[in-house]
Amino acid sequence: MNEVLTAIIVCSIISVGLTIIILIVNATVGNYGECELDINDGSKKLKIEGGQSLLSSLNSEGIFIPSACGGKGSCGLCKLKVLDGAGELLPTEEPWLTDEEKAGNIRLSCQVKVKNNLKIEIPEEYFLIKEFKCKVLSLTDLTHDIKELTVELLDPKEVDFKAGQFMQIKVPEYELSSEEVYRAYSVSSPPSVHDKIEFEIRLVPNGICTTYVHKYLKEGDIITINGPYGEFRLHDSEREVICIAGGSGMAPIKSILMDMVDNGINRKTRYFFGAVSKKDLFMTDKMAELEKQLPDFKFIPALSGPEPEDNWDGETGLITEVLAKHLENGDSVEAYLCGSPGMINACIKVLTDKGVPEERIYYDKFA
Amino acid sequence: MKQSPEMKKIQANMQPGVITINGFLGEDYRDLIQILDEDDNKVKSLGLTHQQIADHMRYLRDKGEAGLDEFIKIPPHYAVRVATVRGGIRCPFEDKGLVPKSNITVRNLETGEDITYTDLCIHFIEKHGFYQGKGSLYRNSPEKIVRVLEIKPDKE
Repeated sequence: MNEVLTAIIVCSIISVGLTIIILIVNATVGNYGECELDINDGSKKLKIEGGQSLLSSLNSEGIFIPSACGGKGSCGLCKLKVLDGAGELLPTEEPWLTDEEKAGNIRLSCQVKVKNNLKIEIPEEYFLIKEFKCKVLSLTDLTHDIKELTVELLDPKEVDFKAGQFMQIKVPEYELSSEEVYRAYSVSSPPSVHDKIEFEIRLVPNGICTTYVHKYLKEGDIITINGPYGEFRLHDSEREVICIAGGSGMAPIKSILMDMVDNGINRKTRYFFGAVSKKDLFMTDKMAELEKQLPDFKFIPALSGPEPEDNWDGETGLITEVLAKHLENGDSVEAYLCGSPGMINACIKVLTDKGVPEERIYYDKFA
Repeated sequence: MKQSPEMKKIQANMQPGVITINGFLGEDYRDLIQILDEDDNKVKSLGLTHQQIADHMRYLRDKGEAGLDEFIKIPPHYAVRVATVRGGIRCPFEDKGLVPKSNITVRNLETGEDITYTDLCIHFIEKHGFYQGKGSLYRNSPEKIVRVLEIKPDKE
């Protein structure tokens, strides 16, 4: 009996001891106290609580760094120059950085933990990125797996962006995601509309944000977005414009075309759009309208697998095949691509084979 | 079988929030060694190897890439869509480098059954015999993969 009692007392003492140790460790290790972020050589100084990633810490201070993976170190977008205080390069950053970037103190801000004072450089344009509270105005089916999401900006009420840029949509914690995440989507509306933003979002099986938008989001819901981001935009020249996209890659191209109408840009423009069958084609009425508004614009949809009932008499084949057929000499052409890395790489091959210089092929590899 | 400290470390890498938001184990709270053992036994009972299963998955993935983000028909009766996205993902088994981020959907047009997998799923199966824990977003059991892709044991 005494032995049992002794065992219980010993176990209790050990448990209490362990609990005290855990409490002490929690209060000390991992508690980095207040840290200072010195931004752009003292032009801005922030006092923040240490312990979070540099990306999250900046986000919470209203400074948004481009990121397409929610801070998991799997997109390589959130690079920043960290001049002091970041410690050794982590194995999770290594694959994303060139030797030149490593030598230049470039780090992945999602992987650098703020444990002490940091000296960092942030490009000036990032300070223009804002967070917007928005109301979902409509969710419209464009095809069986692409929805158009239109939001009204509530706070701030207006946005300035360039046609071709993207925003990040914040997805709250829900059934498919155990934490808030951000995902990047191109804006499909023109920059002349400042109080509303449109996105075209394709459902990806198991995709956290696309599933949320397609199956959970409702008209009237309040969501948060931030942006604008990205360098994908129409360059100022008189060259012929070739646009190539498929699926939701339509979004930034549509924004660019509508911006050309708004600004009276009348360059020769050909838009090659790939789909499988007629049920995957959308915005054809809008493209017909743009053909009337832009004097030398042609929309060239191509179906890779038209169904008999489609009665399709347009171009058939993969978009690369149709592009190769139409493009004779790429010397005087600029190309604008939106799609997955695989689609973009295939199109770059056709374009360069036709003589388009690589430096005149513009794209954001997102999908 | 007892789980080694290395396996414990790998299992920790598979938890939600470490490499991906939802992790790779779903609602499977068994030791990783047990998860691996169960699927390994299943694959053996089907008369197959992990390599054979991974080879079939990769074959359809490689053929499907020609569809440039759209479904493409692959003989004898599959429709495959390969959507790649920017970036790469670390392997929780701590293999070097990054595995490209992708989303591969294979539809068996005869049975109407679909499976969705990623390049990381192929890597997991090929290198580690890992099909992910039960309830994980991208878990496809060996039986399901074998059924949808109609993988048959090699004839002696």
